[in-house]
Amino acid sequence: MLFGKYINRYYLKYAPLFIIGILALLAVDWIQLYIPEYLGEVVKILNTGGDKERIITLGIYVIIVAAGMFLGRFLWRITLFNAAFRIEAEMRHQMFLKAEALPRQYYHETKVGSIMSWFTNDLETISEYFSWGTIMMVDAIFLGIITTIKMVRLDLWMTLICFAPLILVVVWGFMCEKFFMKKWDERQNAYDKLYDFAQENFTGIRVVKALVKETKEIHAFAKIAKKNADTNISFARLSVIFDVFIEVIISLIFTFVLAFGGWFVWSFVKGQAIPIFGYEVDLTADKLIEFVGYLDILIWPMIALGQIVPMRSRSKASLARVSNFLDVEILVNSPENGIKLENARGEIEFKNFSFHYPTYDASSLHEISLTIKPGETVGVVGKIGCGKTTLVNVLLMMYNVTPGTLFVDGNDIMSLDIKALRNQIAYVPQDNFLFSDTIENNINFGLENGNEETAIKGAKFAGVDKDIKGFKEGYQTISGERGVTLSGGQKQRISIARAYVKDAPILILDDCVSAVDTKTEETILHNIQEERKDKTTIVVASRVSTVMHLDKIIVLNEGHLEAFDTPKNLLKTSPTFIKMVKLQELQKESEGGNQ
Amino acid sequence: MYVSEENEKLFGDKKIPPKIMFKRLWRYIVPEWKSFALALFLILINVALDVILPLFLKEFTNAISKDAEHIVALAFVIGLAIGYFGISLINQILIYFESMILQKAGQRIVYTLRMEVFEHIENMSQNQFNLMPVGSLVTRVANYTTSMSDLFTNVIVTLLRNILTIIGVYGIMFYLSWKLSLILTGFVVVVFIASFIFRMVITKIWRKERAQTSELNTFLNENLSGMKIIQIFNQEKRKEDEFNQRNKNLRKTKFKAILAFACYRPFINFLYYSALAVTFFVGISFNLNAGEIVAFYLYLSRFFNPVQNIADQLNQIQKAATSSERLFNLLDVKPESVDKPNAIHIDKFIGKIEFRHVWFAYEKEDWILKDVSFIIEPKQTVAFVGATGAGKTTILSLIVRNYEIQKGQILIDDINIADIEVKSLRKAVGQMLQDVFLFTGTVRTNITLHDEQYTDEEIKDVCAYVNADKFINKLEHGLDEEVIERGENFSQGQRQLLSFARTVLHKPQILILDEATANIDTETEKLIQESLEKMKSIGTMLVVAHRLSTIQNADQIIVLHHGEVIEKGTHQSLLRQKGYYHKLYLLQFNND
Repeated sequence: MLFGKYINRYYLKYAPLFIIGILALLAVDWIQLYIPEYLGEVVKILNTGGDKERIITLGIYVIIVAAGMFLGRFLWRITLFNAAFRIEAEMRHQMFLKAEALPRQYYHETKVGSIMSWFTNDLETISEYFSWGTIMMVDAIFLGIITTIKMVRLDLWMTLICFAPLILVVVWGFMCEKFFMKKWDERQNAYDKLYDFAQENFTGIRVVKALVKETKEIHAFAKIAKKNADTNISFARLSVIFDVFIEVIISLIFTFVLAFGGWFVWSFVKGQAIPIFGYEVDLTADKLIEFVGYLDILIWPMIALGQIVPMRSRSKASLARVSNFLDVEILVNSPENGIKLENARGEIEFKNFSFHYPTYDASSLHEISLTIKPGETVGVVGKIGCGKTTLVNVLLMMYNVTPGTLFVDGNDIMSLDIKALRNQIAYVPQDNFLFSDTIENNINFGLENGNEETAIKGAKFAGVDKDIKGFKEGYQTISGERGVTLSGGQKQRISIARAYVKDAPILILDDCVSAVDTKTEETILHNIQEERKDKTTIVVASRVSTVMHLDKIIVLNEGHLEAFDTPKNLLKTSPTFIKMVKLQELQKESEGGNQ
Repeated sequence: MYVSEENEKLFGDKKIPPKIMFKRLWRYIVPEWKSFALALFLILINVALDVILPLFLKEFTNAISKDAEHIVALAFVIGLAIGYFGISLINQILIYFESMILQKAGQRIVYTLRMEVFEHIENMSQNQFNLMPVGSLVTRVANYTTSMSDLFTNVIVTLLRNILTIIGVYGIMFYLSWKLSLILTGFVVVVFIASFIFRMVITKIWRKERAQTSELNTFLNENLSGMKIIQIFNQEKRKEDEFNQRNKNLRKTKFKAILAFACYRPFINFLYYSALAVTFFVGISFNLNAGEIVAFYLYLSRFFNPVQNIADQLNQIQKAATSSERLFNLLDVKPESVDKPNAIHIDKFIGKIEFRHVWFAYEKEDWILKDVSFIIEPKQTVAFVGATGAGKTTILSLIVRNYEIQKGQILIDDINIADIEVKSLRKAVGQMLQDVFLFTGTVRTNITLHDEQYTDEEIKDVCAYVNADKFINKLEHGLDEEVIERGENFSQGQRQLLSFARTVLHKPQILILDEATANIDTETEKLIQESLEKMKSIGTMLVVAHRLSTIQNADQIIVLHHGEVIEKGTHQSLLRQKGYYHKLYLLQFNND
């Protein structure tokens, strides 16, 4: 059994299933031991010419036992596996909740691939241990003990004779475990190498092709593939030797039992029972056959005993990984009794605000002070890496900020309930992530009860309605791999629609019109100014043209606020802004000259 | 935008008829036929011995089941025991050899397959690479090859062994008591019917389980990647519900599979014991002796075990077939930019490059380059200048035929590059890309790229030539310093220098360089500039320039705008023109 703070409670919760399952296992173990007894009796009757009617009765007993075993085996399968699957599903649920609660920072530091492997491989290993692990453990212990007792009661000396080598099986199992681990690691390493090599090679294929190193890479891969084959063979050799050795010991035991047993029986029949330490062995043929039957049953628990140890260490390691994930501290939290912002006016104030990311030192912000008034439409511009995205990330409470430096509607953002705050903000991300769902559902993502109408409204706002209507399935088209591949511009506009239909007091567009042509961009900007007249909108942009007609513009320069003013004033005061405008004019000019 | 047939192959969804599939699989067996024949022979002996073994127990039981007068010699009893051990031992030795022969043959097949698939992927064109996620390519090389070889070494062999055992055991039982075995045939029929039904049921459940597992995993993957959106839109609850639905569905399907097993396995077990009971009933009327009853008891278990495993093995075959289908599909994809039949092989280029009315688009009609023409004389250094998206980088990738142009001609030394062998073309052109990709390994392997013909001397010379020696010498292990994933332990500038070394070592006649825009510290920047100056003498050099020094020292500057060449000339002459370049220069490079 496996224990840990995240799983102990399941033993209690599923106690009935575990108890019924283990009882069923014990019952099956118990009654299956009657079969050798019956077989022995049949042999005895046939040998001594006893009552043949009795054999019929014994046959009926066998059927009764078989029926009981059927029931028991059915029961333990459906109870223990049921418990294991339920625990697996519940733990997965718990992990998913954790994943939903984890802040942005965690996802920066951890690869989705690793999280996925905890969700899949590790949970399966744990679940397997709950089902098969329990079964093997109960069998090994209980079946092992009662079979041994039955054997001892039948004949002590025979039991001792066959236990000597039987212990070898267990010792051999423990002994080989280390080698197994080593060979397993070697094999796994070789495989990982192969995997990584292929992965890197395919990722860096440009370099390989550029230097015409395909052949060399193929040769390098050949070496790794060869090594992989070699370690596989040597692992296989070890496991074949392991199995063969166990089989040989088992047949050695049978041989011992046959040889010694045969000798004892022969001597007893001849009337010259072998005395051992003054004790005369009175073994008869039927007893010997019964004994062989028990031995047959005992083999499985012995093998199981050898397997439990590695299985247990594997699942322990898996549980440790899962627990680590569930243990991660959630650093960005709503304060207790946080203020639940509702119908915000949309005033945002930065007061001597500084910020840097916890783990990496890119795009920090330094001593920003400015106030965005309710209903203003504000642009944010600056060079790549100047902190534009950081500015909106902190507004969404993706990270903790210094208390007393950032205010929404006059409330310190650190005192606000995060969920309520996020309800007040609609956001269009840079990377325009869409779910593999219908376009309608994607647009209505932020709504409780959206319908096609709301989706169309949003799509019209974002200038993507015509595109969507052009698809065969219209708004029911599924986006993503299995459906229609949307262009970058279409994705951007759909994610603008998604934010728009939320109709929040604050709308943030994070550099999201880069793949949209100038005309559509103008339409969207026009719509923003028309339809969000009294609501705050922040537009982060890399092109000056995007923000040229907004109320005010924030100009950032290497994390510092260079200026916050109307475009008109900025043309006089902000060097960065002036340069950006001139570059853009130059572009337009030459465009004009060409046409 | 629906997938074409080539793409269908690429993703592995195209169905292959079983007959063709078998033929193709057969191709891998043929070279290993000796191993397979030998293994098969050993299996036959193995099964035969296995089937004979209980007879010893039968004789043994009979031998000791006599009274004092009739009992046979003790030597015979002991002899039977030793004989039993001897046969078991031989059997196990045979199993060892047979397993190892199969393992080795199997590993050779995996090796061949892997090399075939890897080579094939390596020769795919850039376009095809862009279409296919790296992950699924890796899965094909690593996983599918393994499961396909399992088919040969494990699945088919075990299936064969089981079938042979069933036949052998039945034969012996028939020999022991043909009447009893005829009665037991009834059980055989029931077992087969039960197995057949079970297989039908479980195959369906398993298919559903696989689909639901992959659905759940896709869901998890997508939502973990898009967690930011979920959190910002406060949709945790909705996603949790969606997750629960999938999680529950999978759990239920898994339980259905267990339910099927919970009926099937115990049922077969029940049949086994019932068969034993029948043996008891009928045994006495047929006057079987104790030995025969014991033998039947042993044979029954040897008979029922393989039967219930067959269902499993058939399923594994199906799985392996799916893997094979995907692999064959991938192998069927033809690389896009192949050499023409009489492609010209060129050892050394002089280095004249000409674009003649070149038009190019990644996607139909969406022209990236429009009627671009220019001539670059051998050994000249040319800088391409223009705004982002003007087509500078595209020009560089067209020269090495990463993509094929739609209209016009590109000529090197007055030969159309479409007629030149791609490999000899790329060998002549040293490419230094903007985003330097470093492989896991050492500094050395990143410069040589696993090419062992280069001596330390040569590598060090090259490093000194491109100014990379200074930082390499400071590393603790010098050339053997470890490079971690994607070279994250080296700075941008260092990576750039390494890519210079990598390129120069391979002695190109034409150099193309896409200068990085990222910030590089002043010291390294100086090293890079010096290095670039030296590299100009190697051959013709084309640079997408962001550095003022690079542009000023170029023999020719080509100014691009929206895919068109709008100005050409030297730095001075272009400045005198007071056109686009002049303004660009003033804005971007002056007082920056």
